[in-house]
Amino acid sequence: MKGNGLKRYRLRFNQHYRLWLAGGLLFFCACAWGQPSPVGGTLGAVGSDTMAGLMLRWGEALHHRYPDITLQFQAGGSASAPTALVAGTTRFGPMSRPITERERQQFIERYGYPPHELSVARDALLLVVHRHNPLASLTRKQADAIFSTSLDCGGPQPIRRWEDLLPADQWPYGKIALHGRNLASGTHRLFQEQALCNGQFRRDISEHPGSSAVIAAVGESPNAMGYAGYNHLNPMVRALPLINDKGTAITPSVATIQDDTYPLSRDLYLYVNLPPGERLPPAEQAFLELIFSDEGQQIVQAAGFVPLPQTQRSPLLLGD
Amino acid sequence: MTPPRLPFLRQPLRLIHDRIATGLITAGGIGVLLAILAIGVFLIWETLPLLAFGDAFSLSTLSPLAWGTLKAALAAMLFATPIALGAAMYSALFMSTRLRSRVKPILELMEAIPGVVVGFIAGLLLAPWVERHLASTLLVIVWLPLSAALAGGLWYLANARLRQWLPLSWAGVWLMPWLAIMVTLALWLSPLMEQAWFGGDLRRLLDQQYGLDYATRNALIVGIAMGFAVIPSIYSLAEDALADVPASLMEGAQALGASRWQALWKVALPTAGPGVFSAVMIGAGRAVGETMIVLMASGNTALFSASPFEGLRSLSASIAIELPEASPGGLTYHLLIFAALSLFIFTFLVNTLAEVVRQRLRRRYQRLGGKL
Repeated sequence: MKGNGLKRYRLRFNQHYRLWLAGGLLFFCACAWGQPSPVGGTLGAVGSDTMAGLMLRWGEALHHRYPDITLQFQAGGSASAPTALVAGTTRFGPMSRPITERERQQFIERYGYPPHELSVARDALLLVVHRHNPLASLTRKQADAIFSTSLDCGGPQPIRRWEDLLPADQWPYGKIALHGRNLASGTHRLFQEQALCNGQFRRDISEHPGSSAVIAAVGESPNAMGYAGYNHLNPMVRALPLINDKGTAITPSVATIQDDTYPLSRDLYLYVNLPPGERLPPAEQAFLELIFSDEGQQIVQAAGFVPLPQTQRSPLLLGD
Repeated sequence: MTPPRLPFLRQPLRLIHDRIATGLITAGGIGVLLAILAIGVFLIWETLPLLAFGDAFSLSTLSPLAWGTLKAALAAMLFATPIALGAAMYSALFMSTRLRSRVKPILELMEAIPGVVVGFIAGLLLAPWVERHLASTLLVIVWLPLSAALAGGLWYLANARLRQWLPLSWAGVWLMPWLAIMVTLALWLSPLMEQAWFGGDLRRLLDQQYGLDYATRNALIVGIAMGFAVIPSIYSLAEDALADVPASLMEGAQALGASRWQALWKVALPTAGPGVFSAVMIGAGRAVGETMIVLMASGNTALFSASPFEGLRSLSASIAIELPEASPGGLTYHLLIFAALSLFIFTFLVNTLAEVVRQRLRRRYQRLGGKL
């Protein structure tokens, strides 16, 4: 009884469904094979979370130009990039700090040649205060004396109170409330190297998980000072001009960061694993061309970083 | 005479199901115990290399963190215990049962708020507001309990008609507008009070006269936030202990002429004392282990300070921040595992003590003849 009922409603094409399936598959394969794919594939990159937004925007622009290329980016912090390069997981390693000697040695031990270092954008470490704070500028030694206990840059004594920086009886008063990043951050390490001359941070710096949190905390608190990356600057805070070795106060801006006159500017790097004498595959080559083109540097600006000056926009890697 | 046991597969199906279920549950229980044991063994194993490093200095880097953990827990308990125990005493013994059946689930819903949300609100909204309005905050903290006591005093002096409209068993409802008005009054008057008492600026006074530095995210904020998170834990356990005091005891005391306060203080609390104690211990255990609230509301500054206006850094927050960056096998890694081990042992001991005390209370209630 059940069998009869089923038989009546069975579709006729069911008998030949296997033929249909095979035919469909063959058709699709023919379509796919027939297409020429000039530049395609999946690019991988592992590295800095400071550059995460930037890498993703470049990936989008790349996909727009060449729809067959997709960029996959894993933001694990700058420290994860050399590990991935050495392990061979990826060819590209964006880092917001230069590679250390030990990491470079590990790479050379594995592959026999050093990684290519490309500077893809510029950034700066800013010292920020509340927007109403009247402080004019800081010297490098003062910045060290404010943030460190070790005074390795040569200051005479630690600076703890606003009264030591501002004329008497001017607002703000009291102890300087310090804000910074926590140990996991590349910005923290870079500030330690460049501004504290590899010294020790004070223990009473409030630690925040991101530069935006530092800016927010300084923006709400009139007697606060903190350090953060350039791309998080917003109107709630003021970036302090730093006095360089010649005695002039340099305000951080696109121009002063591009030509390196602002003392705490830094490069953002992309490390590439390429054996000497070889050429990059076309997808990777397209990615690098995009980065150093005008469109790529405009994307840098849109992401909040500082684009490279015109002179640095065509590295040798693209030439050969 | 018991029937002879059949071989396993020939027993009735319900007995086989019974045995399988019992076996699975026993296996689950043993599995959980083994997991806890494995965690403990792993932590101890990874701490042993510290003996090889053998450095007293490196352990001393943990001491500001231990101090910070205790300070945060103490601040939280100072805020939470009076509020939670007061609420438990009132709702178990004096509140109308209809109101209690609605209020208790709502208070227990507080426990469902994730710590991250509480920490976020405390660190990003509460902390800057308190910094700008320090005098108002301190005034409200002092004035709220005083105004509640004032309401009690006024109620005592009120005539019978008013007391009929505002019965004590519904005080949870009619106290709320009173407290709201009092808080608004305090916030409105606080600039005037600040001007009169502190010379216009409390923070400048603290800084210049007492050398007290005020950090935006400090122990006060952590105390308020973590106290808020710990209140439901203490409340529900203390409330259960107090509600289980046999009604015969309370009624007997009141029949013999004891006032409500005397019945509470001399009869109910000593009877339910161990349960209340264990509720507070469990709250303390939670306060010590809570990570996200301290991470977001404390500023993470490793200071050895007793001031409530300075930041702190707790062991759990340090582990959360630094363990992902510590290279396995290095000194920092082993120190952080040691911190985790001390947190594990502490909460384990506190919770075991609380549970033992609760068991003794249940036996005591059985002896008293009340309901379990």
